[in-house]
Amino acid sequence: MKTDFKHLNRIYVLVVLLIGYYSNVYAQEFKLSDYKMRFTFSTQKDTSNNRQLEVSFLAANKKDRKDRIPVTEALIKFYHSGKDTLLLIGESKTNKQGIASMTVPASMPLEMDEEGYFNFIAQFDKTESLKRQKKSLQVKELILDLNLSEQDSTQIVTLNAFTKDSLGNQISIEELDVVFSVGGMLSRLPIEEASVEDGVYEFEMPEDIPGDLNGDFQLFVFVDDHDDFGTVLQSVQSNWGVFDDIVKPEKNKLWTEAAPIWMYVVLTILLVGVWANYFYTIIKLWKIKKIGSNV
Amino acid sequence: MLCIGRLDRLHYLFIYPRIQSPITWDIIAIITDLIGCFIYLYLTFIPDFAILRDDKELNVAPWRKKVYRFLAMNYQDTPEQRTTLKKITRTMSAMIIAMAIVAYTVLAWIFSLTLQPGWNSSIFAPYFIVAGLYSGVGVIIICMFAVRKFFKLGHYIRKVHFIGAGIILLVLALLYGYFTFSEYFARWFSHKKNDMLLLDTLFSDYFWRFIFANYIGVLIPVIILFFKRFRTINLITFAGVIAVVGLWFNRYIIVIPTLETPYLPIQDTRPEFIHYTATWIEWSLSAAGVAAFCLMFTLLVRFVPIIPVYELAEGAKNDKRKAKKKAKKNSKSEKKDTSDEN
Repeated sequence: MKTDFKHLNRIYVLVVLLIGYYSNVYAQEFKLSDYKMRFTFSTQKDTSNNRQLEVSFLAANKKDRKDRIPVTEALIKFYHSGKDTLLLIGESKTNKQGIASMTVPASMPLEMDEEGYFNFIAQFDKTESLKRQKKSLQVKELILDLNLSEQDSTQIVTLNAFTKDSLGNQISIEELDVVFSVGGMLSRLPIEEASVEDGVYEFEMPEDIPGDLNGDFQLFVFVDDHDDFGTVLQSVQSNWGVFDDIVKPEKNKLWTEAAPIWMYVVLTILLVGVWANYFYTIIKLWKIKKIGSNV
Repeated sequence: MLCIGRLDRLHYLFIYPRIQSPITWDIIAIITDLIGCFIYLYLTFIPDFAILRDDKELNVAPWRKKVYRFLAMNYQDTPEQRTTLKKITRTMSAMIIAMAIVAYTVLAWIFSLTLQPGWNSSIFAPYFIVAGLYSGVGVIIICMFAVRKFFKLGHYIRKVHFIGAGIILLVLALLYGYFTFSEYFARWFSHKKNDMLLLDTLFSDYFWRFIFANYIGVLIPVIILFFKRFRTINLITFAGVIAVVGLWFNRYIIVIPTLETPYLPIQDTRPEFIHYTATWIEWSLSAAGVAAFCLMFTLLVRFVPIIPVYELAEGAKNDKRKAKKKAKKNSKSEKKDTSDEN
């Protein structure tokens, strides 16, 4: 049976034209006016009490919610505003994901307003194609104090959560949702979700948490994107972990001194077999030579 | 030997051999494979050496006649000699296939048994075997083209041979492309930190080499060889060249970017540790590898018949025999027809 190549040719040409057409249509479709700028500003306080300020700068398609393009290399200026002052505390450019961040060290003196908030501003200055963006953020200082104690061989974790007013007085938090977790190799393992009332929460620590070689692990308490406090993470080192002290002999690892025995055996048999065949071939060649000399 | 890089330390492998090291096994496997290949090649040449020895009209230097006589091993094409030679040639062909698999596997394990990003892979051994076959067939096509062109052997090396080799190259290109895709897809999708760093490097610093090795080096041969109308001698040879160059780049981007992406943090981060530039010694060694192959091939072409004379003669005999049989059969049937008519 003969294939009709003329028809096939027409199909190839049509496919190429269609690809070209659609790629052109797609290329022409991109218009900045179809996109809305999303400029979000958030903060996270880490275990060292340093504060991370983070801006996410994206262009979101007005019609297609899934179509989001990060604005990269955009210079973001971070300010701290006091009662009468506006202090530039840092600048950062957005990365490939459209995120710019800076760390406010715990040692940096920050001015609190009358209600006990720290005020931050993130600003992107106008360019030829993009409008100016500005977001402010108010955050209260949240102090999470984790204490570990043993009562009648029961391990108790106590959390004191408070904030401070402009005079430095401690004010207990009335209500706060927190998550307790322990540090793992890749992520944190949640062990307790709780609601703090009147600034205190207490719970019994599970006794089967695996620790490291010394039985140590890191206990974390986490507040997730709170309206007043932002995201806060605090931790404490604990020695309550258990360690499975069974030493297993290491076999067949990359760093063991010898390869598996079966490997030596198999490869040796294989090589001996191959070399035996080489010698057999040479012997046969001599035989061929001998036959030839008798002819 | 060239793979080791430091030839000045080659003897260490024999003075201080570590039997648990894949590189020791690599050397053993490569040497065994190489010797096996030479023996096999020699076995296939014996009948031709015998023809050259017996050819009275062959106008060559006396020393060459002596060499042919020595290499012909008194081969007189007796039935016993023929059967023995066929048998050992067949066994040797199986042996060298097995040894090629062992050599490529051990070479792949040198990389894949480490934890380095880009090397720690479970499919490296079959991937290397397929890649070796792919470039091997590419080189055969290029050699066929060169021999055909320079020795004007168009009558013997015909288009049908190129198409046959081209189809094998096509199958291997598809297999090689599939392995390459699986390799990088798994790395990309698993999103391991160091693998992502490596992929970032490949798609930035090594962009064109990566594209050539893994896209152009596979797709161009596939497109040329897939469509019947593109299967001309020149285009099939071009596909072979693209396959070989693509595979060279593939080896390059397997070795170098990984070495530039240290898996563990290192204390001393001198630029020459992070960014690689080949030294003149390395370029010389690479060129020496290509030159050694060309030298061996041209020597072979110079001293032995590049088209197997014995097999051609055998083929001609077989054709005659078949023609005779056919003629006999035809005359018999004609006789039968006339007797039926009578």
